[in-house]
Amino acid sequence: MNTQMVLQVVMATIGAMGFGLLFHMSGGRLLAITLGGAANWIFYLLGMEVYHDRVIAFFVAALATAVLAEIMARLMKTPVITLLVPMLVPLIPGGDLYYTTLALVQGDMEAFAQYGGMFIREAGAISFGIILVACVVQTAFRLWMLFRERKV
Amino acid sequence: MQQKEQTLFAILDAGELLLTAGAEVARVEDTIRRMAHAYGFVRTDVLTITASMIVTVQAANGDVFTQTRRILRRETDMRRIEAVNALSRTVCRNPLPLDELRGRIEEIRSMPEGSKWRLPAAYLLIAGSFAVFFGGSWRDGIAAMLCSMVLYAVGRVGVRIRLQPIVLTVISAALMCLAALITVKAGLGQGLDYIIIGNIMLLIPGIALVTSLRDMIVGDTISGLLGACEALLRAIAIAAGCALVLMQLGGAG
Repeated sequence: MNTQMVLQVVMATIGAMGFGLLFHMSGGRLLAITLGGAANWIFYLLGMEVYHDRVIAFFVAALATAVLAEIMARLMKTPVITLLVPMLVPLIPGGDLYYTTLALVQGDMEAFAQYGGMFIREAGAISFGIILVACVVQTAFRLWMLFRERKV
Repeated sequence: MQQKEQTLFAILDAGELLLTAGAEVARVEDTIRRMAHAYGFVRTDVLTITASMIVTVQAANGDVFTQTRRILRRETDMRRIEAVNALSRTVCRNPLPLDELRGRIEEIRSMPEGSKWRLPAAYLLIAGSFAVFFGGSWRDGIAAMLCSMVLYAVGRVGVRIRLQPIVLTVISAALMCLAALITVKAGLGQGLDYIIIGNIMLLIPGIALVTSLRDMIVGDTISGLLGACEALLRAIAIAAGCALVLMQLGGAG
């Protein structure tokens, strides 16, 4: 890890904490999402290290963060979404969306297509990561219920 | 109004609270279905989109009631999602009397806003950290924090005079870019793009977009399309506001 990466993780942590505050979180939950924001960007950096592809790294980071959020939500007895959303904030491709829309307004269709395509793929990778985890958890939960019913 | 209609009304209140606090459409529908079941309705059909809720329930004696709600304003508030979720769990275990249910819902609706420093602190943290996160220097971070206060002030005024959200977004983005340009011209900021992106994280509907994509994949296609469309409009409004200022003063941005 170089200093650039450390700086990014620190800033992602502060940013996640900011979004936690923005969404009315406090106390232990605020601490949890602050640390979750840091974990989120570390997952991304690890994904980058292994796959050398932004979109795949986004997917990996979203997947790992969603798993973490599911576990923490169970422990803290709170809906998953309240933890997951602020924790994923470092992945929100704000820069790409900015350059995309700026290119559109300036009429630079080549840059628009390039940034826009990147943005859609990144947002898609995040959503897909979240959904995959949600589906697996739901399926596992229903199977477990079925299993328990049979036993009784 | 009849007792059962009142009960349905209260259940819709709970659903409305969830939806306006930024809960997923699937969660809202699920909560309404569960609560209706707990209060003895034998059949519940509920359709929720981000802008409206439609619920039809059938009571055990065959009476059918339909109620709808129009949802106008949404602001993410995780406390309320959590509180309604807890209430719904309580109700499913042991249906509260109607008056108590109403009281609990009113309690959640009128939750105190919390410290007045919460929002400005959040703005400072988000704008400052993301300006650096996306590659700016620490001076850009400080410049972004200054600009975020402009954004906060404009937002306060805009909400007070009830500006249309899209218009407010254009004005906020334009004034924020102007402030960013001033900090750069004054010698504090270095990377204009980074200062603006840090602040755009406050305006950008990134979370709304991810949520709407998720809605679409799990089958809530209408909600997903509405959300994506709203997010796109807001993104264009931000770019329009920025372009307005940058094209005139920033040498084509």
